[in-house]
Amino acid sequence: MTEVNPLRRIRVAADRAGQSVGPSSEQDQTSALTSALIGAGRGDEEAFSRVYDLTSPMVHGVVLKVVRDPAMAEEVTQEVYLELWRIAPRFQLDRGSARGWIATMAHRRAVDLVRSEQSRRRRDEREGERADRPFDHVVEDVVDRLDRSKLDRSLARLSETQREAVTLAYYGGKTYREVGVLLDIPEGTAKTRIRDGLIKLRDDFGVST
Amino acid sequence: MNLLPPKGPEGLHHLAAAYALDALNDEERRSFEAHAPSCETCSHEVEEFRETAAILADAVSVAPRSELKSRVMSEVSRSRQLAPIVPSGVTSIAEQRTRRTGAVMMLAAAAVVVLVIGAAALVGRSGDSDGITDLLAAPDAVVSTLDGEAGSLKVVWSAERDQVAVVGDGLAPTVAGKTYALWFLQEGGVAPAGLFVPDESGTVRAVFDVAEAEAVGFGVSIEPDGGSEQPTGSVLYAAEF
Repeated sequence: MTEVNPLRRIRVAADRAGQSVGPSSEQDQTSALTSALIGAGRGDEEAFSRVYDLTSPMVHGVVLKVVRDPAMAEEVTQEVYLELWRIAPRFQLDRGSARGWIATMAHRRAVDLVRSEQSRRRRDEREGERADRPFDHVVEDVVDRLDRSKLDRSLARLSETQREAVTLAYYGGKTYREVGVLLDIPEGTAKTRIRDGLIKLRDDFGVST
Repeated sequence: MNLLPPKGPEGLHHLAAAYALDALNDEERRSFEAHAPSCETCSHEVEEFRETAAILADAVSVAPRSELKSRVMSEVSRSRQLAPIVPSGVTSIAEQRTRRTGAVMMLAAAAVVVLVIGAAALVGRSGDSDGITDLLAAPDAVVSTLDGEAGSLKVVWSAERDQVAVVGDGLAPTVAGKTYALWFLQEGGVAPAGLFVPDESGTVRAVFDVAEAEAVGFGVSIEPDGGSEQPTGSVLYAAEF
């Protein structure tokens, strides 16, 4: 049985897939990130440094969105990268892209933190002051960006109610049940709006795996 | 109007979007995670929704302060990493020697590569312990352990006998119309090795006659009944020797 390097083959496969639809800087970046993450998974710190450079604005940005506190966001971002280094050897291409994997980790961690903070804060009287407008901010922040980029056009194509539900769930870190409560709609409806909104975004972005 | 979430798998199917956005509570998250690996639709949807969510994340990018990177990198140089999720242990029965490799094969990526392989003769037959014991006794028998979220499987392969056996228990039942598929991982592609469905207790013991002389590892995926020419469904295991 000969020793083979499976990673080499994956890069070849990824390169071929790229060529078949024509090169673009987005694809170059995608494959740069994939190889960097694979390198990081084999203990290469320089490769990990490239992963950081390619993804830290996204990670820090989404974490900041969810946790809202800059100092805490920085702390969570650091934790995300230490965890990413630790589990990089377990990255599996067949489970989606490197960017998707990293975004998932970052969002999950931010959400978990906010939820544990929330349960702590529920016992706290300060919660009373905050309860009035916890989600207005989130919606406003996103609406501020509505004149930007393809994403914004896509978000704008969602119905108002779908946009609200997706935004609250993702950027607000809410469960669909919480979204239901906040929007005063049945939880089944909240779930459906999130789903329909995300399907529309997926199709609009041309995501297919 | 849908006032109550539907119960059972039907309800779980509709949780893929909320799951991908981390919009499930802990209990629902756990139920969905138990369901998704054996459901091709859900796994696929989660993948797509996660890619979609990554675009939402990208859209709110804010670079962190540059000090953060030095902190991260200095921590990293002091931190250990985990072993790959599907390490394969290979035991050569003839030599009674164990080699350890940590290579993880990305089956889906391999499937992109054009397959230039002879058609494997797939004559699956229900395995009995004697068949497997026999195979284990072959001088060139190689045993691979495939570890993954869905449990542990052993694959016994003898190129000389043109036979492969798959043995395992604790496997999740397949949904109607789906089957487990075993694949040879080869240089530049994959080739089908056989299809199997665990019994009610989640046990599988199957022996396949095959006409493949080359493999660098094995993989298992979920496929539609009747199998596929190359992996199309969720890949549960993949490991090189």
